[in-house]
Amino acid sequence: MRVRTQINSYAMKRKRSINQNIQHRLLPDFRNMGTVLRIVLLVNAVALFLALAQAASPNELWQQMLFGSALLQPVLLCTLLALYVLNPALARLAYWQAALLIVAVVALLTFALTHLGGELFAGTDEYGWFGDLRRLLQSAIIALLLLGYFRWRTLVLSPAQADARLQALQARIRPHFLFNSINAVLAIVRSEPKRAEAALEDMADLFRMAMNDAHELVALKDEFALAQRYLALEQLRMGERLQVRWHTANMPDDALIPPLVLQPLLENAVYHGIEPLAAGGVIEVRLYAADKRLHLEVRNPLSGTAAQTGGNHIALANIRERLSLLFDVEAEYRVERSAERYGVHIIIPYLKQEAP
Amino acid sequence: MNDTFTLPLTVFVVDDEPLARRRLKELLDDCRAQIELEVTGEAGNGQEALDKLGETPAEVVLLDIRMPQMDGLELAQHLNKLEHPPVIIFTTAYDAYAIQAFERRAIDYLLKPIRLGRLFEALTRARDAVPIRTEVLQELMPEARSHLSVHERGRIILVPIEEVIYLRAEMKYVTVRTAQREYLIEESLTALEKEYAARFVRTHRSCLAAKAAVAGFEKGGDEGESGWLLKLHGLDERLPISRRQWSGVKMLGETREQGA
Repeated sequence: MRVRTQINSYAMKRKRSINQNIQHRLLPDFRNMGTVLRIVLLVNAVALFLALAQAASPNELWQQMLFGSALLQPVLLCTLLALYVLNPALARLAYWQAALLIVAVVALLTFALTHLGGELFAGTDEYGWFGDLRRLLQSAIIALLLLGYFRWRTLVLSPAQADARLQALQARIRPHFLFNSINAVLAIVRSEPKRAEAALEDMADLFRMAMNDAHELVALKDEFALAQRYLALEQLRMGERLQVRWHTANMPDDALIPPLVLQPLLENAVYHGIEPLAAGGVIEVRLYAADKRLHLEVRNPLSGTAAQTGGNHIALANIRERLSLLFDVEAEYRVERSAERYGVHIIIPYLKQEAP
Repeated sequence: MNDTFTLPLTVFVVDDEPLARRRLKELLDDCRAQIELEVTGEAGNGQEALDKLGETPAEVVLLDIRMPQMDGLELAQHLNKLEHPPVIIFTTAYDAYAIQAFERRAIDYLLKPIRLGRLFEALTRARDAVPIRTEVLQELMPEARSHLSVHERGRIILVPIEEVIYLRAEMKYVTVRTAQREYLIEESLTALEKEYAARFVRTHRSCLAAKAAVAGFEKGGDEGESGWLLKLHGLDERLPISRRQWSGVKMLGETREQGA
C-alpha cells in the first residue's frame, strides 16, 4: 500500500516539473553561478573585440575599453540583477516570449542608464538620436548572441545528455545485479514465497525508476527510499556480508535531486567495495544539507585487488557528467580514496520542493 | 560400461552466495527424476572447496566465476591438482568476456538464473567430458593467480601470493617462502616469473624475490656472484644476487629508496 502511494506521488511531481525542465534546457538558469560567469566573460570578450577593431594604438585600445566599460559594466550588472529577479517568471514563459522579454530588458536598461548617466556618457553621445539607436542595437545584438550561445550550448550538449542517460541506464541496471537478483529470488520462491514477493516488488520499483526520464528532479526522500529497496535486494544475496550505516538525521525532507544519483553510488560501493571482500564490510551513507547546499557521501571499504585495478567507474563518470550538465559549476564531485577506503562526496545546490 | 549408468553422478556446488547454492541444489533435486545424481557437498570459497573435494571427490563441480578473493577460473586450476580432477561446469550471472572465451574453447557454462533443462543437458554431457586443461584455464585468466596451490599430505593448501617473500628453484621443485614457512610446488620458475612479472624480480638464475620485500643489500656472497646479497623484510635469510641480475636488482633498491 505504502509503495503504491509513493509511486503516485512520484508521477504527480514529475508532471509538474516537466514544463519547467524543458524551459531550463533552452534558456539558461540566470541564478546559476556558471551562467552568470559565462555572461560576464562573453560580454567583456565582445567589448574587447570591438575595442580591438577600432583601436590603432595600445593607448587607444586602453581608452576604448575604458570608454566602453563605463556604460557596459553598469548595464551588464543591472541586466544580471534583473534577470536574477525575473528568472522564475522567464521559466514560465514560452522560449520566444522569454527571449523577447530579455532583449527588451537589456534595451530598456541601456537606454535608461545612458540617460541617467547624463554627463558621464556625454562624450560618446556625438550623434544625438543616432547614438541612442546605436547603443540600443549594440546591446540587443549582444543579448541575442548570448541567447543564441546558450541555446546552442544546450542543443550541442543535449545529445551528450541523452547519451549519458543511456549509458547511465545501462550502468545502473548492471546486468550482473539483475541476473543475480533474479537468481536469488528464484532460490526463495519455494521456501519463502512472502519474502520473494517483497523482493520482486522492490525490483519493480527500482526498474521503474531506472526507466524514468533522467532530466526531472525527484525528492531526495524518494531517492532515499529507492536506495533502501536496492540495498534490501543486495542484502538478500549477500546477507550478513553487506552492512549499511545511514546518517540521515539531518536529511532535509523537501530537497530535490536528479534521479538515480544515490543508487548508482551505492551499487558501485557494493560491486567494487563489498563483493570482493569475503568477510564483507560496511557502507557508510551521509545525506545532509549545509550552507544551502546538499551533500551526499558514500564510503566503502576497498579490497587489496580493487585498490590496485581501480575498478570500472563508468557509472561514476556518468553521474559527474550529469551533475555538471544540470548544475554547471555549482555541483562539486569529490573522490576521497585511501588504501582501504573509497568515498564519493557530491555537493549540489539545495533545491527545495514547491509546497503542493 | 553399465557401471557408469548404475552409479549416481556425484556433484559439488561452489558459489559464494548462499541463495545461489540453495537454488542450484533445488534444481539438482529436480534433475533426479531424469538423471541419477548425488550432491556430495557445497562450498562458499576456494579453500573450503579444495578441502571438501580432497576428502570426498566429486565427478562434476558447478563453479561460480565471480567470487571474492579467488575467482572460479583460478579455483578450477587448483582443482585440477586434485587426485581426481572433476569436470567443471562454470556458472555466471553475466560475464561477457568469459562467455566468449568459453564458447571459443567449447567449455560448458550455465547462465544464472539457471534453467532446469540446461542444467540437465550439462550434467548429461559431463558424464563423458574430461577436465579442462590447466593451460586453457590459464589462458582464460586475464590476470595472474591470487594464490599458489601446494600439495601436502593429500591436501591442497592455498598460499596467497602477497605472502610470498621469495621463490627458489631446487631440482624439480620450487620452494615458496613466506614469513611463516616453506612450501614446495611443482611449477617452473620461468613460468612463475612471467606470470608474476609485476610482483617479483629475478635476483639469480634460481631465485625470484618479491619486490615489496626488498629491504636492502649487503656485501658478501661467493665467487661468480655479484658480491652482494639481498636483504629481505620479514626474514633473516639473505638471497644471492648474480652478476647478471645485479644491475636490475640494484635499480629496484634505488627507486625504492627514492620513493621512501
